[in-house]
Amino acid sequence: MLDDLPQRPLRVLLAKLGMDTHTVGVTIIAHALREAGMEVIFTGLKQTPEMVCAAAIQEDVDVVGISTLSAGHTRHLPKLARLLREAGAEDKLLLAGGVIPQEDQPMLLEAGVGKIFTMGADTRDIVTYLKAWWAERQAAEVP
Amino acid sequence: MMDVTEFGHAVLAGKVAAGARAIRWLDDGDSRGAAVLRSIFAATGRAHVVGITGPPGAGKSTLTDMLVAELRKRERRVGVIAIDPSSPFTGGAILGDRVRMARHTLDPNVFIRSIGTRGQAGGLSRSTHDAALVLDAMGYDTILIETVGVGQDEIDVVNLAHTTVIVGVPGLGDEVQAVKAGLMEAGEVFVVNKADREGFEATLRQFELMLHLREQSRPEDAWSAPLLRAVANRDEGGGAIVDAIEAHRTFLKASDGFERRSGRREREQVLTLLRAQLVAEIMRGDRAASILDDVTARRIDPYSAADALMSDWRQ
Repeated sequence: MLDDLPQRPLRVLLAKLGMDTHTVGVTIIAHALREAGMEVIFTGLKQTPEMVCAAAIQEDVDVVGISTLSAGHTRHLPKLARLLREAGAEDKLLLAGGVIPQEDQPMLLEAGVGKIFTMGADTRDIVTYLKAWWAERQAAEVP
Repeated sequence: MMDVTEFGHAVLAGKVAAGARAIRWLDDGDSRGAAVLRSIFAATGRAHVVGITGPPGAGKSTLTDMLVAELRKRERRVGVIAIDPSSPFTGGAILGDRVRMARHTLDPNVFIRSIGTRGQAGGLSRSTHDAALVLDAMGYDTILIETVGVGQDEIDVVNLAHTTVIVGVPGLGDEVQAVKAGLMEAGEVFVVNKADREGFEATLRQFELMLHLREQSRPEDAWSAPLLRAVANRDEGGGAIVDAIEAHRTFLKASDGFERRSGRREREQVLTLLRAQLVAEIMRGDRAASILDDVTARRIDPYSAADALMSDWRQ
């Protein structure tokens, strides 16, 4: 059983920014990722972009997932992307999920958000996306 | 990408991203981790490694958070390794200890790392020792290792830490259950957390009794373990606990106890690595696989199989 476990689990940091305290979605995603064999680092609520960036570097995660359900995303997410870039951590995938209107999405992707899942996205789709991303990343690393 | 030597220099200079990546490599069993470790090992052995352990629900994360705050008041640089269980079925994990330590996230003199057990029993991960060495090389003065919630014999942290803090709590049923006998034998500092809870006095008395019995069986010049109380979620009791932790460090330093403990764990690590290498070597090849198949089919018993594999390997 243990022999079959992946040697290098994908590490994902999940956080919520600002005063958004809706935790149901992020909790479901955390469990779905754990079931898929990933290590999920949860940092809690009311995080600032600075805090998320510092934690992502200390934890050396591959993916930073931000759940956003009460606006603020057009301000917080570009700032987080910029902080990660400035810290030399642009290799980490910045993922956003939750209530993100269609019209905001081009600006966020332009600002450095790697992928957006909107409200109602199937957790299986998120897992599939991350697994494919991780497989591609690992294949690229092999000399 | 930096090469490994530059990486070692960056770790020694305390660069957070480099240290974090080195720990990742060591945790993943990536050979670059061993290479970095080689280049930093001579600089390690300075940090005071402190284990924080106790049963699930004892408030270890909140207590760790309080100890970080107290150590920072004393201007210590603090590394934290917080371990949570990985699923034995999927290998996945939810590592949530950071939630209780959020107030230290932006302190440049605090480094917090969450680690999953990844199949290791004993309350730690296989990589915990190596991760502590990296933090030591980065210049953190005190390294707090928070174990998973433990039961009776998951006390590997004792072999890794200079000082182990055992955290108990009222209300886990029978007082003896507050902390199991195996834990009582292990620690150097005892804390009953959640001292505002019902049943606190009874739990405290139980601890006193166990510690009294323990003292009687030990030599007179042995460390006398203090019993302290805390209400970690109200930041109460941290000062006395850090006093006790640092007094134990002074106690160890007064003899060669500090170096002896670190030395013991490095020597143990050599044996651990050697065991893994030997097993990998012995199990290489088709013949080893077929002997294991014979065991599965019950054609040969495990003892004879091990003997056969050893004698094959010797030739």
